[in-house]
Amino acid sequence: MMKSFIKLMWFPLLLATLVPAIWHQQPYILSMFTDALTIGALALAWAMLGNLGGMVSFGHSAFFGTGAYISSMLAMNSGMPVLLSMLCGGLAAALTTLLMLPTLRLKGTYFALAILAYSQIFRVLAMQLEGITGGSAGLSGIPTLPVVMGFALNSKLGVYYVILALLTLFLLIYTVLARSDYGLALKAMHDSEAATQVVGVNSLLLKALVLLLSAFMTGLVGAFNAHHMNFLEPDYAFNASWVIVPIIAAIFGGFRSLNGPLVGALVVYLTDQLLFKVLFPTGNLMILGGLLVAIILISPRGLLPLLHSAQRRFYRAKA
Amino acid sequence: MNLTKWFAIGLSCTTALSVIPATQAAEYQVGAVISLTGVNARGGTGMHEGIKVAESVFNQRGGNVQIKVETINDESSPAKAVAAVERLAANKVVAITGGATSDIVGPAATAADKLGLPFMTSGGTSSEFLTQGFKSFFRINNTTGYVKAMAGLLETMQVKKLAVIYSTKKSTSEMARMMQQYMAEKGVVVTMHPFEATTVDFKPIINKIKLQDKPDAINMIGYENDYVGILRATRVLKPQVKAMVGAWQIATSKMYQDFPDLVDKTYGTEMLPVPVTFNRPEGQAFEAAFRKLYPHEPDYLSQYGFVQGMLLFEAIARAEAAGTLDKGGIAQELRSTPVDTIIGNVRFTEQGDNEEFVQNIGQHQKGNIVIVWPESASTGAMQFPGTPW
Repeated sequence: MMKSFIKLMWFPLLLATLVPAIWHQQPYILSMFTDALTIGALALAWAMLGNLGGMVSFGHSAFFGTGAYISSMLAMNSGMPVLLSMLCGGLAAALTTLLMLPTLRLKGTYFALAILAYSQIFRVLAMQLEGITGGSAGLSGIPTLPVVMGFALNSKLGVYYVILALLTLFLLIYTVLARSDYGLALKAMHDSEAATQVVGVNSLLLKALVLLLSAFMTGLVGAFNAHHMNFLEPDYAFNASWVIVPIIAAIFGGFRSLNGPLVGALVVYLTDQLLFKVLFPTGNLMILGGLLVAIILISPRGLLPLLHSAQRRFYRAKA
Repeated sequence: MNLTKWFAIGLSCTTALSVIPATQAAEYQVGAVISLTGVNARGGTGMHEGIKVAESVFNQRGGNVQIKVETINDESSPAKAVAAVERLAANKVVAITGGATSDIVGPAATAADKLGLPFMTSGGTSSEFLTQGFKSFFRINNTTGYVKAMAGLLETMQVKKLAVIYSTKKSTSEMARMMQQYMAEKGVVVTMHPFEATTVDFKPIINKIKLQDKPDAINMIGYENDYVGILRATRVLKPQVKAMVGAWQIATSKMYQDFPDLVDKTYGTEMLPVPVTFNRPEGQAFEAAFRKLYPHEPDYLSQYGFVQGMLLFEAIARAEAAGTLDKGGIAQELRSTPVDTIIGNVRFTEQGDNEEFVQNIGQHQKGNIVIVWPESASTGAMQFPGTPW
């Protein structure tokens, strides 16, 4: 038990200790890590849906935006404490999946396209409900994260720890679900949904639950981002980049492994922003694109599986 | 005095001069957070060119202060603009300039405010920035100045019915609402046609305007790509209007180079005639430095970039001379010193708004841009009625 816990948590623990120890006086580097972990948390939520539920979603920005808007509006209009409003943002995002239940009968690209359409509907809604969302002008002056027991969560170090805590929580949720009976049933559905239905598994309910969980996680990250940025507008909240970049990160790192999306997010985001952007201020995305194509050609299962097989080969050769 | 003595005196003077320490100009870094790629790239690039010209002109003057501009591309992303401000602050810049549009300016200015850095822009025209409580936010233009200019032109044209097509983005929708209110107060019948930033086919909107609204003029409030889409639709449907009037990013030489048939006879906010002519020394210095650095015509974006850069650099120099640079001196200097610039007088209010700002209107006329409003600034007669088709 302890061994598997350490195996799961070594990477977040490393990030919790090493990054602040080295870069605590460099707010820019810390903010880069915060942004990368934000992408990582979204990538994990997306990968969980794909890996366990077998569903590919192009519409996760719907959950991100919903979580961001609900949390911001609650904190701004009703004076709700920010941490509680973030939780409500996550729950609201999860509730939106009820509207998406009809799409669960669709498979593959049809499901992906249907959920993409939902994200566009939500964006238009945010634009039209001007009285409460601020419309296209958006919301500014969103309350920041609070001070808890003397520690400012809205400081650079504070927001870093908040997103790392969320990410760690997501890792635990993912692991618990994957190892539970539900996880086993979900994995079985991958091979044959019809066969699992025959043995009495309610596949629709299971898929709905995993979608709900993924939406909750994404909404929570959206809420965090809104309070971190103190700014929100429909184009930003429901931007396609909130799903595209995490997908890239998850595939790059290896979306079937637990730490793969996190490693992918860190490598993709930090390499792009701290290396490629410095070398090529306006051509960095081109380099990143080339790198992604290369990794997919070399290792379609992602970077982490590639490193694991390289490690195995090394030990075999040594033996 | 013989030659040896003259030689000895000359040598002594040279030695003495070489021993006297030369006055070293203090060098300060200014951060430019700007969209060089992404959806705001056109506006950001133009503004950035102006800032670089300001750096060159200011440093060539050879005062006590030299400026080094450190630029970071925000990729048209609010989150990356915030990160860029933080990175520049870590690099010890004394102020930040840039921000191509209001959605970037908001988060970037908030980040700069938290870090105690003055923020100067020409890209955040939205009125909400004045109520955010920023300690040292400054902008040289505002929505009101653009509205005054377009409404003034339409009044001159004696327009009775107006159709406003506008992007639902922050600044554009605010400007459209102000136009509607302003024109309605003048007794003009105004119809509003919002469109989303992703719209590419404007034929349904133009068709509605043609068949239902039947206005005297169409007011386009959007960005470059929007104008191209709108004008393409009007070429197909040919509504019976007398003028096509745009806000920013239309009366530029680049628009004429890229779309000569589409933009001819259209109107847009523009401070500069094309070919560019300046009568005053600062304008001439801007034009000369611009042509040295870039192989194309300057436009109002670069002009704004230049003005925002020069105002900031000059304020840094004054604060340095007063010894108040690290005591909020830059903001203090900007607030207390009205300046006559190449876009007219600049006088900042306590909130950092330039209360003197009014735009001019230019019209594309066969490759030239003629300033047609206000009359005091006009460089030629307007072609009215006139449309590109």
